[in-house]
Amino acid sequence: MVEDSKETTPSQQKPSEAEKKPAATVASQVRPPVPAQGATTAPRPPPPRPPVPAQAQTPAVAPQRKQSGRRTFLKALVAVGAILAIVPFVPWGNYLLSSVSSSGPAKKQNVVLDLNTTSNNNANGAVSGQQVNVNDLTSFPPNGSWLITYPTSGDLTIDSQNPDTFQKFALIRLPTELGGANKSASAFVAYSKVCVHLWCSPNYDPQKSSNPTYETYQCPCHGSIYQLPTKDSSGNLVDAGKAVAGPASLQAPPTNAIPMLTLTADSNGDLIIQPPVWDVDHNGVIGYGRNYASYQNYILPLAEGEQLP
Amino acid sequence: MSRPQEKGNVVSRLYEWIKNGLERTIFMGIQYTYPKRFVSPLGYLGTLTGIVFLVLGVSGGLLMIYYQPTLSGCGSLTCAFASIERINNTVPSGWLLRNIHYTASNAMVLLAVLHMYYQYFSGRFKIKNEVLWVTGIILGIITGLEAFTGYDLLFNQRAGLAIEIGSSLANASPLIGGTLRLATFGAGFTDFVLRLYAAHVFILPMVMLILVFIHFPRYLVFDLPVISTVVGGLFMVAAIFPVAVGVAYSPSNPQLTIPEWYLTGIYALLRTEFDKFVMGGLMPALLFLTALVVPFVDTSKKLSWKDRPFFTALGITTIAQIIITTAWGFYINPNTNLPTLSRLFVDPVLYFSSMLGVTVLSFAFTYAFLRYLKAKERVRRAVAPMTPLLTKRWVFIIFLMLVGAQLTLNFFAWTAALTNLNAMTLFDAGAILVTFGVIAHLYRYSQSLPF
Repeated sequence: MVEDSKETTPSQQKPSEAEKKPAATVASQVRPPVPAQGATTAPRPPPPRPPVPAQAQTPAVAPQRKQSGRRTFLKALVAVGAILAIVPFVPWGNYLLSSVSSSGPAKKQNVVLDLNTTSNNNANGAVSGQQVNVNDLTSFPPNGSWLITYPTSGDLTIDSQNPDTFQKFALIRLPTELGGANKSASAFVAYSKVCVHLWCSPNYDPQKSSNPTYETYQCPCHGSIYQLPTKDSSGNLVDAGKAVAGPASLQAPPTNAIPMLTLTADSNGDLIIQPPVWDVDHNGVIGYGRNYASYQNYILPLAEGEQLP
Repeated sequence: MSRPQEKGNVVSRLYEWIKNGLERTIFMGIQYTYPKRFVSPLGYLGTLTGIVFLVLGVSGGLLMIYYQPTLSGCGSLTCAFASIERINNTVPSGWLLRNIHYTASNAMVLLAVLHMYYQYFSGRFKIKNEVLWVTGIILGIITGLEAFTGYDLLFNQRAGLAIEIGSSLANASPLIGGTLRLATFGAGFTDFVLRLYAAHVFILPMVMLILVFIHFPRYLVFDLPVISTVVGGLFMVAAIFPVAVGVAYSPSNPQLTIPEWYLTGIYALLRTEFDKFVMGGLMPALLFLTALVVPFVDTSKKLSWKDRPFFTALGITTIAQIIITTAWGFYINPNTNLPTLSRLFVDPVLYFSSMLGVTVLSFAFTYAFLRYLKAKERVRRAVAPMTPLLTKRWVFIIFLMLVGAQLTLNFFAWTAALTNLNAMTLFDAGAILVTFGVIAHLYRYSQSLPF
C-alpha cells in the first residue's frame, strides 16, 4: 500500500523517495509498526509545493532513518568533521591573553625613581628622578621605600604622571636585620602596587619593621598585609611578599602573594630591573598573585648574581 | 503548556525546545531554507555577503582590543600605525585576524557588487522588491565607506593618500564643503583618526544593521556547505596573499601609491584634473543614481535579461565602464624622469573617448547577442532522471578520507602554529573549513541515496 500511494505521486521529491522504497520494504518486513506509520503519512499533498524547509519532510522518512546504523554513523562523522573544523581555532584564543600594558617583549630597565607629582603624593621626596645605587646608603637608607614605574614609556615625566598602578612598584630597601645595609641587589625588593585581593594600592609602613614578622606592606582598603622576606632556620631569606593578614592571606596559593620585580646591580652598583617573566612561578601575575617560594627559587638567586637561565 | 512526548536525545530535544521558544520572535518571520541539494550560490550571494559581514564583525571586534586610535604619544603620527604593527608582529594570532579582516573586507565589496549585478540581470529587483533594491544600493555605498574608513585607520602611506583625497573631495563640495570636511574629517589628523574610528567601528555598522533589517527578504537560503567553503576559501586567500602593514604615513615624505582596487576608479577620475567635485563626486554619484532609479524606469513585467535588451545593455555598459576606469586608476606613467604630477595625469581625451567607445560597443554587442539568441530557437531538452553519481560504498570511503584529511590538516595547523608559520596556520584553517564544507555537502548528497 505504501508503495502504491507513492508511485502515484509525481512529486518533485520523487527520486529520493523512490530510492528509499526498498529500505522501507525491508524495514516493514522486519518491524511491523513501520508500514502503519508510513500509511498514515502516505496521502501527503501532491507536487506543486514551494521549497520546503528540511524538517517538514522528516516525519515521512524519520522512522526508517532511525533504523539505519549507517546513517547514524554518517551523522557521527559529520559531527566529528564539525569538531575538527573548530579545533584549529582554539589556540587563536591566545590573542586575548596578550598583555596590553607592555608594548613588545619585556625589557631590561634601570631603576630610576618617579618624579614627585601631586597624584603620587610626592612619594620620592628629595631623591625623586634619581638612579638608585646599592652603594648609596645615605640617599637610599635601609627600611626606606620609593615608587618606580615598569615598563617605562621612555619619558620619566609621563611615567610619573601615569596613574596605572599595574605599572607601579614599591622599591623597598630591607631593614638592616634582613641585610638592608648590604651593598647588593639582594638588599632590595620591588613589590607590585596592586593588592591581589581587590586591586587597591598597598603602602610600605617603616614603623612595622620592628615587628619580628615584618608585616610592613599594608593595603589601606581591607587590611591585607604582605610580609618582607623572613629568615628561615638556617638564616636564609625566604617567602617575600606572602600575605600574612587580612583577606589576601585567606586566598588560596598562588593568589596569596604579591608579584615582584627581579632586581640586579651592575658593576657600578646601579640597580637594574631584569625582564620579568609574568607567571606565578617567577615574577607573578599582577593583580592575581605569585607562588611565594619564587622569591627564594628565582628572584633572590638572580639578585645575588646568578646568571639568567 | 502540554506538548507531545518528544523523542530523540538531549541535544535534539534542547534544539527543539529552543526552536519552539523562538516562535514569538522576529526570526520566525523569516523562512530559512536549507537546500537539500546543491543550488547555485548566485541566488544567495546576499546571504554570503551577510556571512562575510559577520566574519568582519568578529575579526574587527577583536582587532579593536589592540588598535589605538591616537596619533601622539609614540612620536609623530605613528601611534595608530605602531599599534597595527604590534598586532601584526607581536600579538599572538594578531597576524591571522588582521589578514582575515583585510581579505574579508575585499570579499564583502566583491560579493556585494556581484550580488547587485545578479539581481539586476535576473530582474529580481522588480515587482514589489523596489525597497529591497534601494536599501541594497545604499548598503553598497555604506560598504564602500566602511572599507574606505577601515583602511584609513592604518595610517600608512596608502591610508595617507586616501585621507588626503577624501578630505580634499569634501573640501571641494560647493557651499557646504568646509562644514562637511569639519564634520567628517575634523580639524586635523588627531581629530580625524578618532572620528573615522567611531564611524568605522560603530556608526556605519549600526546604520548597516538597521538597513539590513529592511533589506532582509523573507526567504533566506542558508547553505552550510557553501558557507563553510566560502569562509574557508577566504582564509586561504588571506594566507596566500597576505597584506603588508606598509610604511608609516609621513606628511613630509609621501610616496607614490595606489588606492584599494574599489577606489582606483575615483582616483582615475580625479587625475583627469578637471573640477574635483564634478569628477570625484558627481561622476560616481551618477552611477549610483542610475542604479537607484532603475526599478522605477524599468517597470516592464519581463524579468529575464533576454527580454530587456536596453537595460541589459545598460548593465553591461556600467560593468565595462567600471573596469575601464579602474584600469586607468592603476596606470601610472612609468617614466620616472617626469614630475610626479605629470606621471599621475590621466589624459581626459583618451579617457573619455575610451568611456564613450566602450558604451557604444557594449550596446552593440548586447543587441547583437540577443538577436543571435532569438534567431537560434533553443529547444528545451527534457530533464534526464538523476542517476546517483556515487554508490554508498564510495560515500563511506570518501567520508572517511575527508575526515582523515581534516585530521591531517589539523595536525599541520597545530605544528604550523607552534612554529609561528602564520600563513601556513591560516591556510590550513581555511582548508579545514573547506573540507568540512565538502563533508556537509556529501552528507546532504548521501540523504538521497538508498541506505
